[in-house]
Amino acid sequence: MDTFIQLTLNGLTLGSVYALIALGYSLVYGILKLLNFAHGDVFMVGSFIGFGALQLLGGSTDPIVPVWLLLILITLAAMAGCAVLGVAIERFAYRPLRDAPRIAPLISALGVSFFLAYSVQLMFGSQQRDYDAFSLDGGVLFLTGFNIGNVRVPLLRIVIILSAFVLMVLLWLLVTKTRTGKAMRATSYDREAAAMMGIDIDKVIVFAFVLGSALAGAAGVMFALRAPTAATIGFIAGLKGFTAAVIGGIGSIPGAMAGGLILGFAEAFTQGYISTRWSDLFVFVILIAFMLLRPQGLFGKADIKKV
Amino acid sequence: MKRQRWIALALALGATAALASTAGASPARVSGAQAVSCKSTLKIALVTPLTGGAGFIGNEQLSWAKYGVKTLAAKYGLKITLLAGDTPVEQGPAPAQALAQKYVGDKSVVAVLGPATSGAVAATSKTYFDAGLAHISPSATRTSLTKGTPREATAAFFRVVPGDYIQGPSDANYMITKLNAKKVVLIDFQEPYSVGLADAAQAVLKAKGVTTIRESTSVKTTDFSSLVTKVPNDADIVFFPSQQPEDAQTFGQQLLEQGKKAKVFGGDGTNSPDKFKLTGSYVSNFAPDISGFAYNKALIAGWKKDNPGATLGSFGPPAYLAVQVALNAIKKACDLGNGEIKDRRDVVRNVKRIVVKNSILGGDFRFSTKSNDPLNAKFYIFQIQSNGTYKLVG
Repeated sequence: MDTFIQLTLNGLTLGSVYALIALGYSLVYGILKLLNFAHGDVFMVGSFIGFGALQLLGGSTDPIVPVWLLLILITLAAMAGCAVLGVAIERFAYRPLRDAPRIAPLISALGVSFFLAYSVQLMFGSQQRDYDAFSLDGGVLFLTGFNIGNVRVPLLRIVIILSAFVLMVLLWLLVTKTRTGKAMRATSYDREAAAMMGIDIDKVIVFAFVLGSALAGAAGVMFALRAPTAATIGFIAGLKGFTAAVIGGIGSIPGAMAGGLILGFAEAFTQGYISTRWSDLFVFVILIAFMLLRPQGLFGKADIKKV
Repeated sequence: MKRQRWIALALALGATAALASTAGASPARVSGAQAVSCKSTLKIALVTPLTGGAGFIGNEQLSWAKYGVKTLAAKYGLKITLLAGDTPVEQGPAPAQALAQKYVGDKSVVAVLGPATSGAVAATSKTYFDAGLAHISPSATRTSLTKGTPREATAAFFRVVPGDYIQGPSDANYMITKLNAKKVVLIDFQEPYSVGLADAAQAVLKAKGVTTIRESTSVKTTDFSSLVTKVPNDADIVFFPSQQPEDAQTFGQQLLEQGKKAKVFGGDGTNSPDKFKLTGSYVSNFAPDISGFAYNKALIAGWKKDNPGATLGSFGPPAYLAVQVALNAIKKACDLGNGEIKDRRDVVRNVKRIVVKNSILGGDFRFSTKSNDPLNAKFYIFQIQSNGTYKLVG
């Protein structure tokens, strides 16, 4: 039973990160019908920005602010930095190709992905960067928390899960309860009609990239608080975020959240009960299965075929 | 139109056939018989990861290799230039292969220090052998390089550190005799170094009645949460032969996070006081703390003067020894050739005969008569202290 609880906790932590990445994919696809394959590397850049902010604030052994403020500041720095990066990517890599055949922005996205990964590698080297969150305040994030049975739920995992949940709720509120959200939804239904109704499509698209990239930045920091980051983590993380978005229904925000959690649980339970060797394989088998059996995902709508 | 299609198909088939015929071709055999004057500036090349996750190893080796050339070349009456070739571990054997081609083609390169990693040795030893170039590694420890059938390295390969066939059993015996381990989890990373080491340790543990659990994960894994969950609460040790000390640190932290009592026992790849500093963990390495030998005092002082602020590690001193062996062999080849190295193979022939008295690694150094491994070499076990230092315990 303890193993089950621990693996559930592992899955929830992993799934929260995947959900944030998946949301970025869904936001952009929902509006532009574009798979932003550079999104995983935006997540990676976010983890590096968080690392840089952490060093500026004194590092994990001697921070100049309390731990709770440190975590907020490095997360905000990563979100802001990635938002700017998202704007730049949209402006220079995708906007000029908006009316091109759909394969063109897809190839551009792949190019941006490799550009980001190799740029970071060139600037910072390929060695791992460790936040060393364990050293913060005597290990408080890892060694304090509460117990469920014999399983300790450490403070860091609580912070990650709750933060991801708060961000997802804020996004949902923004998309469903605000004028900007309404404009985004209108654009996703019919871009031309939305433009005719006076919605500034360019601004809506940029805003989607800002939101998606900011969430990826936050995910990058949450990931790196628990495991070292490196310039090479973006590709696989992006693929897994994409898989989560497909499982939930690409273009659907609740779907992205659900897909991320499902993927996190699948990975954790495969590693725990079968083998760690099989977890990545299993994840992509799930992707293929959904593409074959339910391509619209759990929350997506099936395409209506005109007969 | 139909004719054009046939012509295009024929051209394509021809090109494919040409490509296929070169795929299996081995590189042209480079003659080792290219005489060089010992009065000219000779070159030795250090092949090691200078960037990437294992860059800390290569940079330490480079600092000691430079120091070795600076202090020893004149002593042997030689003018030596040290070349440095980077082989990041993340890029596989390709960089090492490219460097091998470069160095065998340069007749003034008379010896190679390295390659540093076992995979790079396996990928390039034949190239060096065909060119008659001695390659003396300060850190490649894989057993199958010098033992077993077939061997992955050639007769031109030497190493100044012991192989994993010593490390695995040495670590296992320490776990049994000193740590009284009854249950050990062994993890490999699906690559030859860790698989070989884990296999060697597991064999000894099983033979002595210790319960062993074997797990495997990808070398790219950085979050070990679910793997840690599989570690039984009553496991005493987790053997973690990673080549990334940060991963050992993360794994150990996640063990503590999940309330597991097992201690992490890393191989020589995790030896890095800056990155792996979890109190109470163990690390094995092929070199002792050289400051424990009084005759090294001046040597260490000189190296520190050349490398202000650098920490004395355990990957660098074997590189110094490798330089010493190489220069000795070059000197012997020069003497036998009356001031000329008539054939690079003369250097290879002399490497095995080298004896270094009071070597930097402690005691006299010589090669075994049965292999190109050092005679009577051992692995050393360190425990990480609360102040982050590594204390020799076995």
